[in-house]
Amino acid sequence: MPILKSSRPVSAAILVVLTVAACSTGEGVDTGADSGPASTTLNAAIAAEPDQLDPQKTTAYASFEVLENVFDTLVEPDDKLEMKPALAQSWTTAEDQLSWTFKLRSGVTFHNGDPFDADDVIYSYQRIIKGKLSSSYRFDSVKDVVKVDPTTVRIDLTRPTPNLLANLGSFKGMAIVDEKNVESGQIAKQPVGTGPFAFESYQRGTAITLRANETYWGGAPKIKTVKFGFVKEPSTALANLRGGQVQWTDNIPPAQVSGLLNGSDPTVQSVPSNDYWYFALNEKRKPFNDARVRQAFGWAIDRESIAQAARFGAAQVNQTAIPRTSSWYYDYAPYKQDPARAKALLQQAGVTQLTVDFMATSEYPETVAVAQVMKDQLSKVGITLNIRTEDFASWLADEAAGKFDGFILSWLGNVDPDEFYYSQHSSKGANNYQKFKNPQVDELLEAGRTTVDQARRKQIYDQAAKLIVDQASYVYLYNPNVVQGWSPKLKGYTVRADRAIRFRDASLSN
Amino acid sequence: MVAYALRRALQALIVLVGVSVIVFTLLQLVPGDPVRVALGTRFDQGTYDALRERSGLDRPLIAQYLSYLGHAATGDLGVSFRSGEPVTTLLLERLPATASLALTALLIALLIAIPLGVLAAVRAGSIWDYAATGISQIGVSVPDFWMGILFILLFSSTFGWLPPSGYEPLFGDPLGWVKHVVMPAAAVGLVSGAILTRFVRSAVLESLGRDYTRTAHSKGLRTGVVVRRHVLRGAMVPIVTVTGLQLASLLGGIIVIEIVFAWPGLGQLTLDAVRGRDYPVVQGSVLLLAATFLVVNLLVDLLYAVLDPRIRLR
Repeated sequence: MPILKSSRPVSAAILVVLTVAACSTGEGVDTGADSGPASTTLNAAIAAEPDQLDPQKTTAYASFEVLENVFDTLVEPDDKLEMKPALAQSWTTAEDQLSWTFKLRSGVTFHNGDPFDADDVIYSYQRIIKGKLSSSYRFDSVKDVVKVDPTTVRIDLTRPTPNLLANLGSFKGMAIVDEKNVESGQIAKQPVGTGPFAFESYQRGTAITLRANETYWGGAPKIKTVKFGFVKEPSTALANLRGGQVQWTDNIPPAQVSGLLNGSDPTVQSVPSNDYWYFALNEKRKPFNDARVRQAFGWAIDRESIAQAARFGAAQVNQTAIPRTSSWYYDYAPYKQDPARAKALLQQAGVTQLTVDFMATSEYPETVAVAQVMKDQLSKVGITLNIRTEDFASWLADEAAGKFDGFILSWLGNVDPDEFYYSQHSSKGANNYQKFKNPQVDELLEAGRTTVDQARRKQIYDQAAKLIVDQASYVYLYNPNVVQGWSPKLKGYTVRADRAIRFRDASLSN
Repeated sequence: MVAYALRRALQALIVLVGVSVIVFTLLQLVPGDPVRVALGTRFDQGTYDALRERSGLDRPLIAQYLSYLGHAATGDLGVSFRSGEPVTTLLLERLPATASLALTALLIALLIAIPLGVLAAVRAGSIWDYAATGISQIGVSVPDFWMGILFILLFSSTFGWLPPSGYEPLFGDPLGWVKHVVMPAAAVGLVSGAILTRFVRSAVLESLGRDYTRTAHSKGLRTGVVVRRHVLRGAMVPIVTVTGLQLASLLGGIIVIEIVFAWPGLGQLTLDAVRGRDYPVVQGSVLLLAATFLVVNLLVDLLYAVLDPRIRLR
């Protein structure tokens, strides 16, 4: 008789589900690759495998690392994150600010040979709007997209939208796609764009290979093949870079960054990004509805030591959201570590002992590291931080349901101040999970959306930022650096503040 | 024996349906919303509702399950929420990587465990025994991923003999496959071998104390012959049992090792799917895992009859 009872697979299967659900660590799949002649093939190691390759549907950073090189938008951010012509050569704005007319580049073709024209722009934008894809909020103020002639597109608006260019260009999710590629269902696996590199092949779980688009409107790239390998483990990615199996990676062990910054092989750069880290407190729950309690957190913490512990110093502390490098930066830093002041504020609010249910996520170990340093600092003013570490799916569900006293996370890839502040702090904002409500902030954020004069607009956002910081809707911590490393053979590559990975101007020597 | 195998196959089918019910129910209990994970942090309600409807998550649970089961019966395990690809395709793409790594690791494990375990048992109480049990104790205590990182440091970073990570298909580029498989398979195989060594030792020890062994000795056979012909044969049933279990759990995904070595296997796929609440992929991989256990167990049971003629399969 068989010794093993057939109930074992069941219990084993349950065990696997439970263990995996309980201990999710990081993301992704991977490989470095060591094939191809070094002179024309760039092997790049990214930290995760893209979930899919449809730029309008994916939300994964890994996908955009690849797709940045395959697709174009109408306009695109330059090194300073100013919007510059891309598929649109030029544009004009109507007197009443309610329509923008874009003149398209002519002679551009998709990688499959299809010519690019106004119909493609309309198809791409309508797909996002009608399909309610995740970028559809970027078309909030768009009434219609109209073809004027084959190389001219007009966008009609319901209200003046000074940040229209940022909405259209700062995110690759707004890419211009090829109708045939979409309708055939191929886009998620074999995307066709107009960008500097064309999709060539996909080795599942291992790598995606792109080849140079020799007819790219910006000039043919010097690197002829780019192979994006998926390497989840940072120490493995660094070993690959050192061993010459890859020539570029953004997956470097944080603890080793400072030691690598001064070397030339590999070249490692740490550049301030547009992302920011913050924490927020649930204003639907007492006593966090009292601004003094929230401010006490601001006075209790020391941002420098938090940034040091969480990122080994690869960050710029900031008390507002927008980084120093941006033209929208607002120099405002009212808080510093002052436990006596924090205690006094708590006392004024009638709070003596405070225990906080604080959410961090294992998806981003940085949240846990920051929370641990904060726990120590807050304990000195009588606040007990109970850190609850969840996997990201549970974390997101609890955030949406308001099941938290506080949480910590970051926002990525914002360029325009509207993106930095509206959805997070307007009482109408879709991401105002902390339930902040301030009529003056609401009014300013609405005004910022429609004010065309740039100087006036900057003033409006400065005022809004001041209120948000003073009222501690978010307590801002720092802008993290983007850290990337590459072989000295890779020339002409620059690290960008928006984390876009662009290989089109780079070259590879022997 | 054929009737036996058929009956077991039928039982297996019932178990698989049971597994599917349990996995489906458990996934509903796990907190987290697949639609929110897929959309990331920035979206509006209309976008959310649209994707929920497209994924079929707005239908009643029973309807969702029954349609899943109906499709599964025809080999269609649904479509991944994240990539939009058929789950069957995703699983079949990853299976060769995991299977080839698991089998290589098991081979290494057996090459270590059988000689070492037999030596320790035959020379029980000697310095050989202590050495073998000591080595296996170390092997059991060292996590395989840590051994993997040490291997990378030594053989890739320091000596530059082997690529630190990656994968080539066995039937596409055999030499490339060997270069890539050596380190992960050795890391898993050493640990697995250490576990097996202890089982081999105790099984052989038990067999050494049996009457038939004493008889063989009294017939005047040399020790080597006694061990090969009588002791090992008697110890085979428990060894095969444990080996089968090891193989099944290795096939279930050597998750951490797959991540350290960027090995595109089932473990990584399952882990990503759980993290992204990609229900169809989780269900598919658990069903595949359960099926693997069933098949390996069946093979082990069939092997019993071959190894020990006294066992009849009815």
